Order: sequence, then structure tokens, then C-alpha cells
Amino acid sequence: MQSRTERTRRLTLSAMFATLALIFTYVEVLIPYNLGIPGVKLGLANLVILIALYRMDVRYALMIDLIRILLAGLMFSGLFAMLYSLAGGMISLLVMALLQRTGKFSMIGVSMAGGVSHNFGQLLVAALVVTNARMFVYFPVLVFSGIAAGIGIGVIAYIINRKLPSQLFKGGIS
Amino acid sequence: MFKVLTKADFILLILLVAIGLALSWVSLSGSVHGQTAVVTVNGHEYGRYSLSRNQSVTIRQNGHTNKFSIKNGHVQMTYSDCKNQLCVEHSSISRTNQSIVCLPNRVVIEIKGGDGYDAVSN
Repeated sequence: MQSRTERTRRLTLSAMFATLALIFTYVEVLIPYNLGIPGVKLGLANLVILIALYRMDVRYALMIDLIRILLAGLMFSGLFAMLYSLAGGMISLLVMALLQRTGKFSMIGVSMAGGVSHNFGQLLVAALVVTNARMFVYFPVLVFSGIAAGIGIGVIAYIINRKLPSQLFKGGIS
Repeated sequence: MFKVLTKADFILLILLVAIGLALSWVSLSGSVHGQTAVVTVNGHEYGRYSLSRNQSVTIRQNGHTNKFSIKNGHVQMTYSDCKNQLCVEHSSISRTNQSIVCLPNRVVIEIKGGDGYDAVSN
């Protein structure tokens, strides 16, 4: 049985994580970078999701990501773009959670797979929306950008994860 | 730092790079200078425009407006009333298999070979 303080702690921490993820999304909206190919981006928010996945639980990571996508969709990108974020976010979280569970991958490997699968999910929805499989001409570029962004985020997440206090999210989830 | 990486990480990396390279090879092979720009709206063909003639085309559909220009065989989206403007920022295209997509307005501009006939893709 969880104590009341413990539950409050978790709730507060989850809310903080969701806020942080939202801020990271906003930072990425603010910095305009255009490489000629839509969909190429760093995915700063995945930093928070990765930490949540490792330090909390896949359910917490899922809720934090859903809150982020919903709020970011309403605030910056519009409902339409929310669909892409949702597809990318859910597929990448699924892949990351599965890889993490095997215990064979480091955070960097997990993040890398997350980056690529995120791009794949977005592209899948894009191809469905325009009902044109030709969207997949972007996929090679998005595979490489996903790898690069995933490694970058993975390295940062790894460093941050080591610096965080071990008692951050005490005693597992029950 | 690199001690962090596991064997599985490296296998995954090699696998992903291999997939990326294979896909690049598939999408780049057989790409030649195109002759026709085919505009598709919502999955239905809207029109075909020759790349050999410099022109500016306005696509009006379902209350949305997109404009693109053809200049020296290169197609560039010049205007879109959509929110994200990704299609306008997209670099110009000229080769077969390339396309510019405006997702919010559901407009796709594809480059095809002569007469728009494309035996390889269809």
C-alpha cells in the first residue's frame, strides 16, 4: 500500500516531467531549422520520455507523452499535426519500451530505435493522409536523421540519468 | 563513454544504417530528369504540367490555395495557405521519384518522366 506522500510525490514528479516535455517541444517550435526535408528534427522531448521510461515505468512515460502531445497540439501545432505526433510518439514509445525490456540495449541504443521508429510512424500517417505511398521517398533521409537524433538524445539522457538522484522515483511502481 | 554501448546497440546501429542505405539505393536508382509535374489532391489527379515550359500554377481546391512555379525544369512551391509552410520551404525538385507534399492541404506534386507515363512505379 502506497503512502499518501509517496503518491503525491509521484503525481508531482509526473506533472513536472510532462511540463518539461512540453517546454522542450516548444523550444523546438521556436528554433526554426529547415533542411529541405520535412520531419527532420532533434526530438528534445524524447529526452524526458526516455528518462521517464527508465526511472518510472512505461505507463508513466505513456501518460507524460500523451499529455505533451495533446497540449502541444492545442497550443502550437494544431489538431492536424497532433495526429503525426501521436503516431510517431506511440510507435517510438512502444519500440523503446520493448527494447528496454530485453535488457540488452543501452539507453543510447533504445533512443536510436525510438528516433527511427518515430519518423516511421509519422511517415506512415502522412502516406495515409495524402493516400500516396510516394511519401516513402523521404524515408531514407528520415532513417539517418532518426539515427543521428536518437544517438544525440540518448547520450544526453544517459548523462542526465546518471546525475539524477537514485531515490527520484522511489521503490518501483505498485 | 563508449563502454556504455552494448553489443546489441552496435548490431542495431549497423542494421538501421543498412536499412537506410538500402532504401536510399532503391529510391535513387532509376531517377532521371523528369518531364512532367503531376499534381494530386486528396489522392485524385488534379493536373499535369510540362517541365519544359516556365510557368506559374495556382491550385485551388476545397477552399485551399497552393501555388507552384516551374522554372528551367525545377518545381518549387511558392505559396501555400497552410499553417506549417513545410512545402514552401521544401527545396525545388526536378528528378523523377521526387515530390513536394503539402500535408495540411493534401496536395502532392510529383515529378514523372515523359508524358507522365511511368512504367517503373505503376
